[in-house]
Amino acid sequence: MRPPIIRELEALLGPGAVLSAPEDLMLYEYDGSVELGSPRCIVFPASTQDVAGIVRLANRFETPIVGRGAGTGLSGGAIARSGGIVIAFSRMNRILEVDAANLRAVVQPGVVNLDLSRAVEHLGLYFAPDPSSQKSCTIGGNVSENSGGPHTLAYGVTTNHVTGLELVLTDGEIVRIGGRSIETSGYDLDGLLVGSEGTLALVTEITVRLMRKPEAVKTLLAVYNALDDTTESVVDITVRAITPAACEMLDGFTLRAVEDYVHAGFPKDCAAVLLIEVEGLTEGVEAQAAEITEVCRAHRAREVREARNDQERALLWRGRKEAFGAMGRISPMYYVQDGVIPRTRLPETLRRIEEISKKYDLQIGNIFHAGDGNLHPLILFDERDRAQFARVVQAGGEIMRHCVEVGGALTGEHGIGMEKNELMPLIFTPEDLALMARVRDSFNPAGRLNPGKVLPMGKACGEIRVPPTPASAAISS
Amino acid sequence: MSRPAQSSFSRLEDIVGGAHVAASAAEIAAREVCGMQPSVVVSPADAAQIADILRFAAAEKLAVIPTGGCSKLGIGSPPARYDVALDLSRLNRVLAYDPNDLTLGVEPGVRMGDLLRTLDDKKQFLPLEVPFADRATIGGIVAANSSSPLRHAYGAIRDFCLGMEFVTSDGAPAKSGGRVVKNVTGYDLHKLLIGSLGTLAVITRVNFRTFPMPQAQGSFAGSFPSAESAFDFCRAVSHSVLTPQMVEVANPGTAALIFSGEFAARLEPRTWTVIVSAAGQRAVVDRHERELGKMAGAADAEDFLPLSDDESQSVLAKIREFPGLMLERDSSALIFRINALPSQMAPLAGKLRAVALHHELDFVTLVRAAGIVQAAFLPPRENWATPEKLAAAVADVFRVCAQPELRLSAVLEWCPAEIKTSPDVVWGPPRPDFELMRRVKRSFDPQNVLAPGRFAGGI
Repeated sequence: MRPPIIRELEALLGPGAVLSAPEDLMLYEYDGSVELGSPRCIVFPASTQDVAGIVRLANRFETPIVGRGAGTGLSGGAIARSGGIVIAFSRMNRILEVDAANLRAVVQPGVVNLDLSRAVEHLGLYFAPDPSSQKSCTIGGNVSENSGGPHTLAYGVTTNHVTGLELVLTDGEIVRIGGRSIETSGYDLDGLLVGSEGTLALVTEITVRLMRKPEAVKTLLAVYNALDDTTESVVDITVRAITPAACEMLDGFTLRAVEDYVHAGFPKDCAAVLLIEVEGLTEGVEAQAAEITEVCRAHRAREVREARNDQERALLWRGRKEAFGAMGRISPMYYVQDGVIPRTRLPETLRRIEEISKKYDLQIGNIFHAGDGNLHPLILFDERDRAQFARVVQAGGEIMRHCVEVGGALTGEHGIGMEKNELMPLIFTPEDLALMARVRDSFNPAGRLNPGKVLPMGKACGEIRVPPTPASAAISS
Repeated sequence: MSRPAQSSFSRLEDIVGGAHVAASAAEIAAREVCGMQPSVVVSPADAAQIADILRFAAAEKLAVIPTGGCSKLGIGSPPARYDVALDLSRLNRVLAYDPNDLTLGVEPGVRMGDLLRTLDDKKQFLPLEVPFADRATIGGIVAANSSSPLRHAYGAIRDFCLGMEFVTSDGAPAKSGGRVVKNVTGYDLHKLLIGSLGTLAVITRVNFRTFPMPQAQGSFAGSFPSAESAFDFCRAVSHSVLTPQMVEVANPGTAALIFSGEFAARLEPRTWTVIVSAAGQRAVVDRHERELGKMAGAADAEDFLPLSDDESQSVLAKIREFPGLMLERDSSALIFRINALPSQMAPLAGKLRAVALHHELDFVTLVRAAGIVQAAFLPPRENWATPEKLAAAVADVFRVCAQPELRLSAVLEWCPAEIKTSPDVVWGPPRPDFELMRRVKRSFDPQNVLAPGRFAGGI
């Protein structure tokens, strides 16, 4: 006999829309991070009304709720840290409307990021935020985490591309905020909700801006024999007021792993490369590419190569976007860091990461959105070696502390989630956190919506009423 | 209005020093909000003094409104109470400017004009061509979410503000965001403060990303026979590969104002006019000129001309100062800020014009093609307007905005204080999301110390 909560959920959604067998739960206890947490069940709503029904039911059973898109998040945002119901949005995956005249699309949260761009490609349009996981991550997840991507250097992150949301509040009420036009009068609730990591409300419909594809794109690969020359080039590009659409850095170690996997033609004997893209009108692109080439050469790039066609360009980007995956070939596990620093501090920061790598005897690969100072050091480890994992966590913390020391931030695009919530005091005072907790509690008074995320769990910052499950306690200890 | 006792004055003097507490008629009058005057003007030096003042005000149940250049205090619904004007003009330092990182941190009392000069020295700028440029301060611009024509290319304040520091009404200093250009650490509380009219917290620092000056710029103006053809042209531009910096649409009334004096003869501003500017490499600007001209022709433009540098400057200044110019013409002007989609612009303009005709008002509008309509309704002659006549016109404008095919959010930003008889006059009919805004207000300012009643939903 199944427990009453499961029976009621099945009655609400139909039997196929609720999973609760242990082998099913296992598939939903992790995401793209190193965290774990086992839900009580997973439900698959088909409509906003379904979501509202689930929320009301969860309130009756006093059970936590966690929204989930594709589970590609890197900070544990979609993990049921305190058990409860995982609401998986995979059935709410329709593009409801494309309003090409006004450059808008209305989508359900389960729509895959790249699918939206593909659906509007024939109109010459696309959705600008492009996380590396864009082939699988959902726009609902992008909204929760305020996701970025390589091209957010020029076009901004998710929050810059969302004009309206439909929400299901914690009492089951359905409310629309923002709208379709570029602004809406009143407080910027969209600005609060995007990036709130599923702790304020469940998002059931999203209105996004679409962008016109640029006329011309040039992709450059600058190859260096010294790391410092690479980072100095990035600083100089910023200083000279050149604004590429993307400016990515991969170090030699990462590059060799990527090249063995993707065969994109990356040189395997270099210290680092910059992958730089310029977009816009043909005239401007030519001029900018020439200027960038000049800067890179001035900083001793041994070669600046230009992708000759779309195929070459796609291959270079495949190398970048599948770099994380490539790491899986050379290490059982990796821990992706996501720090941000002022761009002028790149050279010293890379040197510091090298020191940390030596200090903890860990291999660290570096993949950066260098143009906006967003770092993704990948710390490689073997999860069977608990002592090594402890060093990994320490090294990660030390990288974060460096970012904070030079005036940066804890996360540029992956979110705080359950990975960094206890690090929040590195940036924020108790007063800052208390205010954030008050805002959260005003939307999520019982603390049942995605508990244990974003804010530290200490009692000073709002009580979390649900204890963490043993699984998550084990991995983070 | 409650009047703080003499003891309140002395407590405030203890906090900021006697020289920084003022109660002269002139100082008080300058900080009038919708006909209401504060009892005292206090000018703190820093966040710590602001915290002390707010704690004191909360304890004494005094209402506080932050002020800067005092150019936009007329925006919003009338405060329910107003005791202390918190003058932030002493917080006027540039705290951090790293031109190499293209980031900036400033105090709220910094004047926009001064800041732009500082940035100009490093060949950088903020895309804020906002009204009342000679007086407006960063704090006021942010609190009013002033609109800039450059939003077309650079977005609004929310898009290039990186973080803020502020003091909440319990006297606690707080912050959100940061100083780096990409950051998702914690809730973006600072976005809530943008456009909040001082109702949530007192801003003490704003961090921005700055932008490099383009190598070359060019501005162009085209005259179109109708609103439809003007907006057809805008649509063609937005669906092209061109990347203009601004696209502003002026109806005949606005065009006459923008192109007054020596330029008027050249530009025939008796019709709908679209002003476009482009920036970047010289070749990019030239390309814009060529293709915009062709597109304008295809949309039946009567002419399409490049503006000289002097003309561009003059036209941009008038576009920027649109609200002030309207109020100069008639202080009882009704000026709405309406958010609309590009496809709604032409029909909306027609409906607004019909409202104006019905109420015998002049209709003058300047439209940011990306989606912001500044619509002014002016009495035909002096002493014509009565509060009743104006209120009836306001109700009709909100009725138009609420039509099912439009459903637009709108704010009556400027109007005579007498007609603001309820928050709805300014903010339009209540919306379901106002309840969420009230939750936000209660989180920030549970005792209702800051600008009570000035915001939507009676906040």
